[in-house]
Amino acid sequence: MTNLIIFLSLMVLGYLAGSWAERRHYRSIAQREAQWIHLPAVTLPQAGIAPGTVDHAHLVSGSAVISIDYFKRFLAGLRNLFGGTVRSYETLIDRARREAVLRMKADAVGAAAIVNVRIETSTIGGHGKRGNKSTTCLEAVAYGTALYLKDR
Amino acid sequence: MKYTPRQGETNFNVSPSSIWRELFVLLAGLLAILAGLYLVMGLVVDLVAERLSPEFEARLGAAVSPRFHVVGQDDSRQRCLQQLADRIQDRCVHLPYHFKVQLVEDPRINAFALPGGIIMVLTGLLDRVETENELAFILGHEMGHFANRDHLRRMGRTLVLLAVVTIVFGPDSSLNNLVTGAMGLAELGFSRQQETAADQFGLKVLKCFYGNSCGADDFFAKIPKESDPGRFGHYFSSHPENRRRISHLRSLSSSDCRPEILKPLPECIVKGK
Repeated sequence: MTNLIIFLSLMVLGYLAGSWAERRHYRSIAQREAQWIHLPAVTLPQAGIAPGTVDHAHLVSGSAVISIDYFKRFLAGLRNLFGGTVRSYETLIDRARREAVLRMKADAVGAAAIVNVRIETSTIGGHGKRGNKSTTCLEAVAYGTALYLKDR
Repeated sequence: MKYTPRQGETNFNVSPSSIWRELFVLLAGLLAILAGLYLVMGLVVDLVAERLSPEFEARLGAAVSPRFHVVGQDDSRQRCLQQLADRIQDRCVHLPYHFKVQLVEDPRINAFALPGGIIMVLTGLLDRVETENELAFILGHEMGHFANRDHLRRMGRTLVLLAVVTIVFGPDSSLNNLVTGAMGLAELGFSRQQETAADQFGLKVLKCFYGNSCGADDFFAKIPKESDPGRFGHYFSSHPENRRRISHLRSLSSSDCRPEILKPLPECIVKGK
């Protein structure tokens, strides 16, 4: 009975805190994406910038580690039994990637474009009590080459 | 190639469907699986319970009983209780067990049947008993659980279910905690039918031992004021609510029960002697 009460409290806490943090994060992401929208970040090696106009280029990167709440982890655990799309992890990955790209852009102040952008994800920590891996934190790293133009 | 800045209107990476709906569907699936397992296992356990030998049972009982704070064998009330049980068994109960009554120091009003013919009587119950007939009925009731093998069925179901849940979810997952919590609630004791059958066995024992079945309902008539589960409690306590139980016992027991035909409690069981 005590276990059940603890479990249900954690579920409620996880749901409330998790969805609050998620809404807040999405608001912040949307606002910063609008702010950075004119800095192109593309996967191609060039972004319509003539080679002669580039002054210098260097590596920029951004990373973000996002954790999932108790409620969503429980839901994912249930999903593991039956298989199918793990919807409760979707926002986790989405937020981590977009946050990483935004931080990469913040690293490239004054650049004309970021080219060759790559995004990678990996799980952090998450060694369960039995030593097996259970996803708890997700890290997304975004990196690319920032191009800075010559002064005219 | 021209770069066009664009901010997506829709987020295609996140499903729009409700998380609560997903939770509901998944939990329903889980419950359906568990219910199926439970039904199948119930049948298997019933089959096994009827075939276990009393010797094997005694070993199971030995594994379970040390958890209780048992009153020593040389306690006079304990010995007296054992003598009463022996007399009842010699004359009226023909089962392949040698019933061993153990008095447990505990203020709660209860008695249990444990594997191996062990009947645990809590002192809280013994202190409230007033006639030998009441006590004989309680012992007869517990013997009835052995006659119907209820104690093995209950233990078997709880064990197998725990085992399956542990295999499916692992020893310490949050799912496991949820399921064991819920199961503990559902498997708290014997079912209502089992209790009623044991009551009937107890009545038969009384009838055989004293020639009448008086005193059976006396004990339960005393309980309501103190620990009647009431309207909400009956789910949590598996014994049928006392009022229902009393009326059922009354309808089955002898009609003319004058107080003089009840036997007084043996001297050695009365508290403080």
